[in-house]
Amino acid sequence: MKGFLRRLLMKLIAGLVMVWVVATFTFVLVHSLPGNPGDIEYDRLIMQGTPPEIAQAKAAVVAGFTSHEPLLQQYFGYLGQLLHGNLGVSISYSGVPVADVIASAAPWTVLPVLSGLVVSFIIGVAGGVIAAVKRSTRWGGLLTLSGSLMAGIPSFVLALLLAFLFHTLWQILPYGDTSDVTLTPGFNGPYIGSVITHAVLPVSTYALLTYGGWLLTMKSSVVSVLGDDFILAAELRGISPVTRMRYIARNAILPLFTVLAISVGYMFGGSVLIEDIFDYPGLGNLLLHSIGRRDYPLMGGAFLLITVAIILANILAELLYSVIDPRVRRA
Amino acid sequence: MTETIQQTDRPVDQPVEVSVSDLTVVYRTDLGELPAVSRASIDLVPGQITGLVGESGSGKSTLALAMLNAVPSPGRISSGSITVTGLGDVTKLAGRKLRHARGGTLGYVFQASQNSLNPLKTIGKQLLDLGRAHDVRDLRALVRRAAQLISEVGLDPDRVLDSYQHELSGGMRQRIGIVLALVLNARVLILDEPTTALDVLSQAAVLDIVRRVHRDSGLTTLIVTHDLGVVSEIADRLVVMYGGPNPEEGPATAVLHEPSHPYTRALIGAMARIVGDISAARVLPGRPPDLTTVPRQGCVFRDRCPLAMPVCAEEEPELVQWTPGRRRACHVEPTGVLS
Amino acid sequence: MSTLAAARARRSPWRVTRRVLLRKPGRVIGLAIIVFFTLMAIAGPMLYPGQLAVDPDNIYASPSGAHWLGTDFAGSDVLQEVIVGARYVLLTAAISALVTAALGTTIGLVAGYHRGFTDSSLMRVTDFVLTIPGFPLLVVLSTIWNFGRPLEMGLVLGVTGWGGVARAVRSQTLSLRERGFLEAARGLGLSNTHIIVRELLPNIAPYVAMNLLLSVIGFIGAEVALFFLGVVPFTSSNWGVMLNEAVFAGGAINSPQALSYLLAPLVCILLLTLGIVLFLDAIDELFNPRLRERS
Repeated sequence: MKGFLRRLLMKLIAGLVMVWVVATFTFVLVHSLPGNPGDIEYDRLIMQGTPPEIAQAKAAVVAGFTSHEPLLQQYFGYLGQLLHGNLGVSISYSGVPVADVIASAAPWTVLPVLSGLVVSFIIGVAGGVIAAVKRSTRWGGLLTLSGSLMAGIPSFVLALLLAFLFHTLWQILPYGDTSDVTLTPGFNGPYIGSVITHAVLPVSTYALLTYGGWLLTMKSSVVSVLGDDFILAAELRGISPVTRMRYIARNAILPLFTVLAISVGYMFGGSVLIEDIFDYPGLGNLLLHSIGRRDYPLMGGAFLLITVAIILANILAELLYSVIDPRVRRA
Repeated sequence: MTETIQQTDRPVDQPVEVSVSDLTVVYRTDLGELPAVSRASIDLVPGQITGLVGESGSGKSTLALAMLNAVPSPGRISSGSITVTGLGDVTKLAGRKLRHARGGTLGYVFQASQNSLNPLKTIGKQLLDLGRAHDVRDLRALVRRAAQLISEVGLDPDRVLDSYQHELSGGMRQRIGIVLALVLNARVLILDEPTTALDVLSQAAVLDIVRRVHRDSGLTTLIVTHDLGVVSEIADRLVVMYGGPNPEEGPATAVLHEPSHPYTRALIGAMARIVGDISAARVLPGRPPDLTTVPRQGCVFRDRCPLAMPVCAEEEPELVQWTPGRRRACHVEPTGVLS
Repeated sequence: MSTLAAARARRSPWRVTRRVLLRKPGRVIGLAIIVFFTLMAIAGPMLYPGQLAVDPDNIYASPSGAHWLGTDFAGSDVLQEVIVGARYVLLTAAISALVTAALGTTIGLVAGYHRGFTDSSLMRVTDFVLTIPGFPLLVVLSTIWNFGRPLEMGLVLGVTGWGGVARAVRSQTLSLRERGFLEAARGLGLSNTHIIVRELLPNIAPYVAMNLLLSVIGFIGAEVALFFLGVVPFTSSNWGVMLNEAVFAGGAINSPQALSYLLAPLVCILLLTLGIVLFLDAIDELFNPRLRERS
């Protein structure tokens, strides 16, 4: 138990270091960019006819960077703010804290990603078991091929193909935006129904994106566990088939936790493209639009948050792994 | 495959616990079905430890698995029978009956180099799984019996039952393997390479334990090994195996001192470099038997045999009694081999 | 029988390769697809020298005898654009593969060979590179550097994408080490450089090749995606630019007029992915003899 806690602590520290590096990276990035964010905001305000003094003051607040201070001081100020959960103030959403902008966008990324994860896990793992057991048959081969192919196809190609097939060609699913714009958002049937139908394509894309990873990993894992000595040993001791299946399942599941971490990273990374294609107001979209609008605080915040989500998934995977594997738990 | 009922002249007056007769196991390959074991006959006598020796590839592990009717696919038992007292012909068993025979009457201990325990469950939990699989009513009694066996093999029961596989050394795992094979009161104990991959001290300890439990529980024991040293230390009887019908069998000391088959002689000769005079050691010529290279007709060993005669290529030698308690399958006269 | 076994042992690597390739028709198809696109990338621009022909009277035309895949918003032939665009996509992928192979192999080898502190610090870096969300990072990087040209793009993709190869090389090196490979070489008094370059590298090359092909799929996806999003400047015509214009300018998803313009590059990417995946299956079997035994 002690060893396990130490490992977890190490993971947490490693994660924090990583967040720090990424934060530093975005800070350096923002400060090496052409045009100080404050200046851009200042210019914008001047263009709107704001008096220079007021514009100056506003720009300083809006950008979150008081560009007159020395760089190092700014850096520590930025880190200090970060520790308090303050990511600065968005430029394009004039004056709204970045944290708030991100908080309102996060559900549109997290919920589809999680739903996609659940769907792909169920289908992928089931497919992997079948592909392993039937690996010498044609169907097993095709199943494996489908996994390799899905793991290889770029996310936006999948998204565009799904949109083309189900929206343009067969016209059975809506495309673009999170719901029908004519409906009033709220807890009412038509709106929720519309949200669900609009979510089908993005969620399917997320699911297909990671389906291959689950399937291929599960397949090779089951194949290797089936060949393990202790399964044969259990059979030779007369252990019942049901119990043997349980032995196989628990041992085969272990490598899947690595896939969990990779999948989450893959999905959050792909969210930039998928949300752009389906016009979903999530984190990826936020990142892309912040770049288009030169909203660097928002860009830094969105990128940081995507990274944090992936780090959290890694730590979660580690935790789950050690719950199941005594070699990790009691090492 | 024609069913030939071979009335082999086994030593009469001795009761037989396990009787393997005319057993052939084939493996399906690209080149058709090839025999891994062909027409093997072995009798296991209660109270005796029988050693089954041969090179790797001689089919001895396949034979051991066949005794539990557990030949892994693509292999299958194509003919012959394995009769066990109280169970009947094991090759005819299936389903629940077969499952209860395995681990029940027939205890099997894996190669020491293999991991025969589920890495994710404690030994105690796996013991309970074993009990449930065999419909043991009183699981408490089972645990008590296991604890007693564990102390008999020199381990601490409380610690072991609460341990995972990775917390035990190779020698300890092997002892647990023996405990699990015997905990349901098996009468026949089959050990496949029980000492391979163990260090010398653990080897000696494991052999000592086998000898003790064999005696204390009145078992019928079969040790499958390539190590003649193990056999010479522990076995009462010795069966030499080489692809086809066993070249030779008989009391262990007699066979080791007076090998009557060129293959046995070669095996012992190859071992001399470890235990005796290095200058006397001879490498076994040729390659170990291989499914694809074993001759179909005549004596399977003839390609590597220094004493091969023309008849060896045409006729397969029969396994016949030579002196009381000893049988051999060779066209060369015993005296020709001994000299 | 014994002659058969001997013949098997004598088989040359080329023959084995051919046999493995021919065992499943999919593998030949995979190789054919890869060769087809490579030829397209090399010869394509030669077929259509100079600027793309524009026909303003014939925009968004349906496929016809004159324009097999129809035309785009400017009246350019879609087939021509696809063929000309292949060079950028494959050239960039090749450059990034080269960079990744060099970086990943070096880092993986050094980490696996030296172990200890070198290993753990290099692997920390590798973990970091693997955890950072790759595509968002590229998008963010595009704000400070317009890496649109093939060399720049290849470099950026390669520098951010070597983590997987490094991991694979390291674990392979460690497994060679476990098999006593290194001790044997050291025992012969070979120098470190000699061991790494002459002994380890050849044994690791197959795994590098496999992981590289896997990363190439990712590289192609990423570069096309960057153009598709429009975050890097359109320096040349390629599949990503086509997709961008089809979806965002042509509204291909909502109106069928830009359909072939949208589908042509998509199908190309799909085919290329399929080709690599099918071919990987053959490489996998070649270098994993375990799979070869089981037919």
